[in-house]
Parts: sequence; C-alpha cells; structure tokens
Amino acid sequence: MTRETQSTPAASTRVQRLGAGELSVDIRTPDLEVNFGPQHPATHGVMRILMRADGELVTGAQPHLGYLHRCAEKIGENVEWLQYLPYTDRYDYLASMNNNLGYSLAVEALLGVEIPRRATLIRIICAELNRIGSHLVAFGTYGLDIGAFTPFLYTFREREWMMALFEKICGARLTYSYIRIGGLFNDAPPGWFEEVSRFCDVFEQKWQEYVDLLLVNQIYVKRTANIGIISREMALDFGLTGPMVRGSGIDWDLRRDMPYMCYDEIWRAGAFKIPVARGEMGALGDCWDRSWVRVMEMIESIKIVRWCLDNMVEGPVIADIPKTLKVPLGEAYVGIENPRGELGHYVVSDGGKVSIRTRVRGPSFCNLAVLEDILPGSLVGDAIAIIGSTDIVVGETDR
Amino acid sequence: MDFQAIHDRLRAVAAPGLVGADLPRKPDPKVKKDKGRAGDPFVIVEAQRLVEFLEVCRDDDRLKFEQLVDLSATDPAKDDAQLWINVQLLSLKFRHRLAIKCLLPKAAPSMPSTVPVYRASQWHERECAEMFGITFVGHPDPRNILLPDDWVGSPLRKDYEFPKEYHGISCE
Repeated sequence: MTRETQSTPAASTRVQRLGAGELSVDIRTPDLEVNFGPQHPATHGVMRILMRADGELVTGAQPHLGYLHRCAEKIGENVEWLQYLPYTDRYDYLASMNNNLGYSLAVEALLGVEIPRRATLIRIICAELNRIGSHLVAFGTYGLDIGAFTPFLYTFREREWMMALFEKICGARLTYSYIRIGGLFNDAPPGWFEEVSRFCDVFEQKWQEYVDLLLVNQIYVKRTANIGIISREMALDFGLTGPMVRGSGIDWDLRRDMPYMCYDEIWRAGAFKIPVARGEMGALGDCWDRSWVRVMEMIESIKIVRWCLDNMVEGPVIADIPKTLKVPLGEAYVGIENPRGELGHYVVSDGGKVSIRTRVRGPSFCNLAVLEDILPGSLVGDAIAIIGSTDIVVGETDR
Repeated sequence: MDFQAIHDRLRAVAAPGLVGADLPRKPDPKVKKDKGRAGDPFVIVEAQRLVEFLEVCRDDDRLKFEQLVDLSATDPAKDDAQLWINVQLLSLKFRHRLAIKCLLPKAAPSMPSTVPVYRASQWHERECAEMFGITFVGHPDPRNILLPDDWVGSPLRKDYEFPKEYHGISCE
C-alpha cells in the first residue's frame, strides 16, 4: 500500500567535509505516501487518510471522506417531516438520542409548540445517558487504539446496561427514534426510573475504575500527553466544538451558554459543572486533555440525570401533533450540545408537508478538518493517538 | 446581544455588503392568505462582499464572532433563479449567534472564498461546491469532499436528475 511520491526528488546523499577526518553526511530518503485506511481499525469506520512520511515523521496528511455518504440531506427533501426522524439516528450512531433531539428541536422551533414538562425531563435523561454511552465508546476504543485492551471491555460492560435501559424504553438498542417532534414516542415503562437511578449508583463506582485503570495510567499518559496540541486560536478558527474546544481550555458548553429545554434551570440549581482542560499532564490542548474532558463529562451527565429523576413530574409526554405534519413557512437553525460538539440542524419550510432543505452540521465533520494541520510534524506512531483523540464517527462526517 | 442589537451595530459600523434584515412575523389578518414567517431572524448580505462582512463580524469588539459554525447553501425551488448561501456565526464571548443569507444567481453561481477569514469554512465550501455547483474563487483546495472526483451534476439542486448508471453499474 505504499509508493514513492512523484514530487520529491530521488534519494540523494550530500557529503560535506567539516575538518580533519570529519564528514557530515545528509542522507535524504524520498517521502513515502502511506494510505491510512479506508479499512483501518483506528479510523472507527471507513475513512482514508493519505499520509506522507519522511522516515518516522509525518509530513502531510489529507483525509479523504465520503465512503459512508448516504445522501441524508437529499433524503430530507424527499420525505415528510416526521418520516425523516429515523434517518437522524443514522448519522452519529453512537448518540442517536441526541440526533433525534436536535432535529425535533429544530422543527419545533418552526412549529412553536410547547413540550410537556415530563417529556422534556425524560428527553434530558435519555440525551445524557446517551452522552455517557458515547463517551464510553470514545474512551474505551481510544485505549484500544493505543494498546490498552482491557479497559475497553469494562467500558462496553456499562454501555451494555445503558443500551438495555434504552431497549426497555423504546425497543431499540442503537437507532432509537424515540424523541419525536412534539415530545416522546411513549412514556417510560414502570420501574424504569428506579433502574436508571441504580445505573447511576453503579456507574459512579465504575467510573472511578476507569480513571484509575486508564486515565492516570502512566503508559496512557506517556502515549497521549504533549501530542496533537490544538491551540485556543486554532480551535476557534477551525470551528471546533464540544470536548475538542474544552480540551483546548475554552470554557464553552451550549447546555450552559445557550441553554435549550430546561438546562438553564439545572445549571442554576448547581447540579452540574463544565469540565475544562487545564493541561495537567502536558501542554494545554493535547490528546490527554481531550480524553480527560470526556471522562469528566460522564460524571457530570450522571448528576444531570439525577436532578431530572428527583424533579420528575407526572403528565403527558407528547404535545398534540397531527399525523401529517404541516410546518409553517420559515427557516430555523438549532444547535445542541452533542457528545462530539455542536450538532446543528438548519431546516427550511415553505409551509408544506416536506422540507425545502434539511442541513445537518455534524460536529465530527468540523472536528476532523483540524487533522490536516495537527498531524504533520508528529511521529507516525503518534498519528493513531491523534486521530483517536478527535473521536469522530464516520457516519456523521459523511452523512 | 439579541438580533436587533446586532443588526443595529452592523448598521452603525457600516458593515460592507449589508442589505437588510428578515424577521419572523405573525400572519397579517388583513392580507388574504398571508402565512407570516416562523423561525429565526437573519441578515441579508451581498454574496460578493461576504468576505469583508465576515471580517467586520469577527473583528468588531462589540460583535466578536469568533467562530463560523456552519456554511451551506439552499436551492429554494426548481423555478427560482437564485441559490441561498446560509452562514451561521457564533460568539463565545458574548453568547450570541447570527444567521446570514446571501443570494447567488443560479446561472453563474460564483463568489469569493471565505477561507481567509475563517478556516472552518474550508470543508463546508468544498461540500457546498460539489453539492450545488458553486465556485468559490480563491479556495485553497477545491476538490470534491464527499462525492467521487468524477461525479457529474450537483445533487442538492432541485433540478438534479439521478444518474441511470455509474461506471457501467446500473442504478435503477
């Protein structure tokens, strides 16, 4: 899978005579072009990075996307508003609840309907549980990428319980379509909240295990600290969001700074904090900082879930929405805090049953663009650690 | 700042290319069949001067839009002569957003690239270019991003016809 690049000159050896019996020899080898992917376990999907390497040093990287392009935006213009919901499950398949939520909120912004309080609280519980599940995959597989196999099995053990909880509430393990336009598909089954509460208790203990086993493990720290550094300016310029921007020391979270649903109420109640990286193990904005943010966010999500359980109310779970939905003329953009960053939906309606435009601003797509800049200059061995730290889901970059 | 304050500020600093604003409104009962408009307010900007406009948005110390969140296009209808360019800006410092809309003629959709102002738009513009057939003049890397290099047509245009075959493989 390698070939010599055409552009670089052939191997040349330059010899300089420095002094008596001393020679300086400059041995240049041509850059190698290495196809990283499309089928590589560390790309977490089907993505190709065309890497140029000078010995052990990466000198260029060019991501090639589109292997998983499924025309999600075009489909949005051909199906009815409610019918599009299952397609949202499939772009970031590790955080389907959040995708459902983002799309529903965007359409509701045009409709102007009021969502029942109980539906809002269950929505937040599901979104936060899904955030935990998504970060568990991100953290577990990141360990796997850089050679720590066992923690991956532990994180998937807890994720399994989270998926079982979702299976009980909506019947699906991965693609839920549970959060609907106007509210929820159905109410939680009897005993569900008690089980979520038990999950929170158990998870808090297990979470400490991940921190001890992997996050502060010396080998893990040595593999991830001081590489793939993203500065504050770079993070803003590239439009990075979510853990990527907090990993660079920028205190920004849409749940607090531009609250939707009732996150502002939870924030005011002091139920959760926003973890922002401080560069504890090396330079600020390195790979370790980004994984630290993800791990810390899990425990904050547990706190949000607990608050919602404590403040749960009785009542309906869906507003009065007609089966054939006609959305008023207009356009709206709604961005929500997905596990990977800001998931934006820009929807345009002409007043009919089908949307004019359904634009999806996927956080993975924007976060991936930074690779072109941070990979060159790193070692080939670190490339895997850097790619893993961006935590992309290829279903979302390609849509 | 809310939208009105942002718009006033843009007018006060004479932001280049600013045409006007479009606000949501309730249906007017006096006008027959008036539906009003729902959703978010946005400003309308001349496409050819968008780069200078974005520069003002980014550098003005009362606006400080540090991030370009999204840049995409919309084809409103088959018989419409224009495409829309939709830009979403975000200010982390002041916690406000701004939606921008530019109109581009479908016959010759070409505008200057915004990459010099926000590098975030680099991939968004590549996607826009292949999906809508828009040329971004001065883009540093104008290749296709999601579609194959030899793809014919602009898939997100309303008049796009699905291909019958691709490299000898029937798509029907």
